[in-house]
Amino acid sequence: MAQDAAGAVDARLSPQTDSLIRAAQRGDQDAFEQLVRAHDQSVLRLAMNLLRSTEDARDVYQEAFLRVYRSLDSFRFDCSFQTWLYRIVTNICLDRLRKRKVRKEESAVVETSDGPVDRMEAFQEEAAHANPERTLWNRELKQRMENALQDLSPRERMVFELRHYQGLRLRNIGDLLGTTEEAAKNCLFRATRKMRAELGDCI
Amino acid sequence: MNCDSVVKLIPLCFYGELMPEEEDRLEEHLLSCAACTREMERQRAMAAALDQRCHAELPPTLLDACRADLLAAIQGGAPRYQKPAKGPWALFLEALAATLSGFHRYRTPVGAVALVAVGFFAARFTGAGLPASSLSPAGEAFSTVRSVEADSSGRVRIALDETRRRVVSGPTGDPGIQRLLLDAAREDNPAVRVESVGLLTSRRDSEEVRDALLNAVAHDSNAGVRLKALDGLKPLAGDTQVRKTLAQVLLLDDNPAVRMQVVDLLVSHRDDSMVGVLQNLVQKEDNNYVRLKCEKALKDMNASIGTF
Repeated sequence: MAQDAAGAVDARLSPQTDSLIRAAQRGDQDAFEQLVRAHDQSVLRLAMNLLRSTEDARDVYQEAFLRVYRSLDSFRFDCSFQTWLYRIVTNICLDRLRKRKVRKEESAVVETSDGPVDRMEAFQEEAAHANPERTLWNRELKQRMENALQDLSPRERMVFELRHYQGLRLRNIGDLLGTTEEAAKNCLFRATRKMRAELGDCI
Repeated sequence: MNCDSVVKLIPLCFYGELMPEEEDRLEEHLLSCAACTREMERQRAMAAALDQRCHAELPPTLLDACRADLLAAIQGGAPRYQKPAKGPWALFLEALAATLSGFHRYRTPVGAVALVAVGFFAARFTGAGLPASSLSPAGEAFSTVRSVEADSSGRVRIALDETRRRVVSGPTGDPGIQRLLLDAAREDNPAVRVESVGLLTSRRDSEEVRDALLNAVAHDSNAGVRLKALDGLKPLAGDTQVRKTLAQVLLLDDNPAVRMQVVDLLVSHRDDSMVGVLQNLVQKEDNNYVRLKCEKALKDMNASIGTF
């Protein structure tokens, strides 16, 4: 996955994507659909990982691609389409993370197609049956990891997700979030410090 | 390089974000500093632990459902970006601002005063030349002429109905705005209906709004509007009247994205009376995703998939 996302943002504009964008700008619906299909899986994954909710990820997908649809005419090829798209997606996700922070409503339950699943239970538990002590330890660690991630500010959470899980370079992350590479570095540093403090003696 | 600066660089080193010379200096320091070496090990351990963290799996039907939603919204009239043409007011203000550069904050009131003055003098000096009619349809008015009568003095008397465009604004909770949104939800233009229904969803506690949403779900010709209305009905999925309408929609709607959304709403509340509806749908459903969703819902309700 990390490769997908990093590749997506780093990719140079391919002639094929270029012509799809131009066709979509002229109103060709098929070209727009192809453009969506080429990028929508990584968008949905990013939203799902950040928001941990099928419903929210679905809303982010819809909102992001509708924004692309509405403003494709203003795309001037001065950055790659992927960067432009990720900028839109990260902004929408950041807004949602900020609202959640205000509401403090994020729970440990993730919605899946098989119904709500407690994400603490959803981790793969190594030798869980063989060693109850180990199981308890794993649970404690996982609980602390979730707490640590939730305690990050939306921006720190986003930078950490994009760097650690999506494999994007900090230079690209700064670009996506409309800030500098230096600011992204500081954000990553703060995020790791906070998580280290939360995880404490577990690591 | 001292320990304080090394500690700050450790996460960046771990993620390969240091310049080669910085990395060399850091590694050199690590060779001679046990405390910073431990820091680096803890960074690696934390990253390894975070790698074990469960990644949210994409449910198999989610991507298709998202694509169907998007297509429905676009076909439902989501507007393409259009650069608004600059009106005379904007052009006038721009010209004025260019002339009075440095006085930006005064440009709006100054422009307004200047326009009033222009209008006043134009009326004084040109008014006498205008034809003396008792009514002249304005540019923003749409008229239907009902009767035309000429009198003996050469004047004409025309009766017309006039629809004048105006802009109103206010919070969605305002009764007048709500009334207009309810009317707009029945307009011919699907883009207007999508926006209106979307705005009405925040007022779903009102019975009138709930009825409008139900009406849109059951009868709107546009799938984007129906999906928007379904979204608004989510918190009311336990209501008997809502469920009854949804059950009918499930069997009659020709759009798979709508049917999927309806199944989601219906199964969000345990209700054994839905078993028959879902079984019926499974028999006739030609969309794999919707059928699988129904079958799963029936399984969850411990009901058989087929009817006997």
